[in-house]
Amino acid sequence: MQYVTREGIFHRLHPLTKLIFVIVVVILAVLTSDTAMLAVLTGLVLAAAAVAGLARDLLRQVPLLIVLAASLLILTILISPDGVTLGYLVPAAVPVVGGIFPITAGAVDLALAMSLRFTAMIFAFQALVISTQPRDLVYVMDYLRVPVDYTLMFLIALRFIPSLQLEGRRISEAQLARAYNPGRGPVGKIRGLVPILVPLIVNSLSKATVLGLTIDLRGYRSGMRTPMRNLTPGRADIIGFCCIGLLITGYLALLVL
Amino acid sequence: MAPEAVLSLKGVSYTYPGSEFPALSQIDLNIRRGEIVLVTGPAGAGKTTLCLAASGILYHDYGGTLKGSIAILGKDIRDYPGMAGIGREVGVVFDDAEAQLIFSTVEEEVASGLENLGLSRDEMYRRFHTVMEATGISDLADRAPHTLSGGQKQRVAIAATLALGTGILILDEPTAELDAAATATITDLLLRLSEEGVTVLIVEQKLNDLARIAGRTILIEGGAVVKKRITKTVLGRPGDSFRPPVPSQESVTTPIISIRGLTHHYEGVAALKGVDLEITSGEIVAIIGENGSGKTTLIKHLNGLLRPTEGSVLVDGLDATSAPTAELARHVGLVFQNPDTMLFAETVGDEVAFGLENIDPGRLCAEKVDAALQEVGLLHRKAVYPRALSRGERQRLAVACVIAMKPRVIALDEPTTGLDAQESAEIMETLGRLRRDGHTIIMVSHDMHLVEDCADRIVEMKDGRIVPGKRTPEEGPCPRSCSMSPGRASFTASTRSPN
Repeated sequence: MQYVTREGIFHRLHPLTKLIFVIVVVILAVLTSDTAMLAVLTGLVLAAAAVAGLARDLLRQVPLLIVLAASLLILTILISPDGVTLGYLVPAAVPVVGGIFPITAGAVDLALAMSLRFTAMIFAFQALVISTQPRDLVYVMDYLRVPVDYTLMFLIALRFIPSLQLEGRRISEAQLARAYNPGRGPVGKIRGLVPILVPLIVNSLSKATVLGLTIDLRGYRSGMRTPMRNLTPGRADIIGFCCIGLLITGYLALLVL
Repeated sequence: MAPEAVLSLKGVSYTYPGSEFPALSQIDLNIRRGEIVLVTGPAGAGKTTLCLAASGILYHDYGGTLKGSIAILGKDIRDYPGMAGIGREVGVVFDDAEAQLIFSTVEEEVASGLENLGLSRDEMYRRFHTVMEATGISDLADRAPHTLSGGQKQRVAIAATLALGTGILILDEPTAELDAAATATITDLLLRLSEEGVTVLIVEQKLNDLARIAGRTILIEGGAVVKKRITKTVLGRPGDSFRPPVPSQESVTTPIISIRGLTHHYEGVAALKGVDLEITSGEIVAIIGENGSGKTTLIKHLNGLLRPTEGSVLVDGLDATSAPTAELARHVGLVFQNPDTMLFAETVGDEVAFGLENIDPGRLCAEKVDAALQEVGLLHRKAVYPRALSRGERQRLAVACVIAMKPRVIALDEPTTGLDAQESAEIMETLGRLRRDGHTIIMVSHDMHLVEDCADRIVEMKDGRIVPGKRTPEEGPCPRSCSMSPGRASFTASTRSPN
């Protein structure tokens, strides 16, 4: 998840407009548990990303979202049995333990709502990150008077996600060149992670020191941030705010109805 | 302190936290405005520690025990409000270029420091374009830093620091990964800056270009200055002793690698554009070229880490476009540029055993581990934690990990980066012995002197293609720029008989 150079409406928007869009999506997603409304909200975020040419990047997260949804479903089945029983996690025919952990309509509904909520939020956040250069995000956070330590933490977090991916790939290549076999079975797979994880952690820690020093030396605590590029809001932002307004209006109308 | 000194170290000693021995001992150094001081010495001599001390990083960020005084522009480093304050006067380029690249495009990276100086937009643009042109990275402005080659990353890191416009520059091995052309560009740039009054402290093992511009060259060993105003001959350079033994005539006639029309696209960038190359068994082939010319991409095709977009790759009778990497690893050993990408085991012996276990599970042969360690001169370090080894020893361990698996082809990506002359010589001697034992060696390097000394054949790459023509090491050193045009250079894809 990192900025990609591309021409599209999201890339042309002022970073503050995009940040407001993300905040609005997060608030709207949190304020309702209605799966239909959450599905519409997710669909609208995806549609907006598609118009901006970012749909393919967002859809890359689908495997992760499926894992997240499955985990949430198991969690809600275990802790929130409510409503009509649709089946059992352990089939009733299984001796002794059969019939425990009922899958209820309430648990499924809650899991679905939470999954859609996360999907809408992740899609919106990803659209922001891949269409906005990190320095512009830093500028906006400064503008909003976010304390510099939090801004820099956010910057480092953004930097570390792709960096870890890259380092992981490089380490994986180095081990594959030694005929590395990721292992079989749950224990084997976990043990098989050692040749990847150990260098990944050690190397990342050593890079973190240099990264922190570089941020300091480039004057990120100077408080004199002025963007080199012109970041004045334009027509795209007016359209963006109109869309955000329509989204809020539609949402409130559906709530009233 | 001399009145004109802008960077001054007086009786500086430093011991890292948790260490019993000082990394620096009684260093005295005064650097005048506009002076270029080059510090060199063997691996582990304390060169990087000296950079960290002079820039105030040891005091403000590392802890440990610092004795003596360090002054920047006449003001003690203890009186500066942390590294953010020192950063206004001193620009630092660390030896790990990649760790200094924070942003998502090169343009953003170089502009990032400029945007924190309170400059007008016009002044920012002026400085930005000047630095981009001076460091030769204007064409990389829209590229993501993580997609660049090692040398390109290093140039971006230098540019981002130069853009800050500080009066003092401290550079830790700034040209270690640069090709000859880029090294010359950076060297000339530093000379120009010094003429404008910028003070430069450089730590480097590659003396040839930098010694030309340095006002003083200082040799340090064991954390102490052992010689001031040294000449190149004090350190020597890895040279004639590298010439490996001649393989038998029979061994140089069998093709072991055959590449035809190899094209590879990576994230929309054509990294290889129709490469044809044949390598015969028993050769030492050096692949050279400017940073980003496709050298590493090419050798990753030999063991299936990358698959071609188009073209064919045959290695030791296997189709490397489809054979599993685990199978190809038995035939081609690839030693990566940074040995730290692979070291994970508790001991040196376990590290070497890892690959053997992978290709022959449950039938680990301790003699093979010992033989590989013996080959690289690390048998006495068998029980040591791998990351406690020096950089040169870790590089040799990486070679041992690969040769223990007995591949017929051994490919090495920049095997001497970050190594001193002695360590480079040891690596080259090891490669010579491996060739004598029947291995084919492919070596990616931007160090023209190194490849002239040890390779049978030199293949130059440029913009994802092999430069046509022919060249053998006997034809003498390449032009300093190393931009050997087809008409001027004589490169070959044919084998010469080593003499």
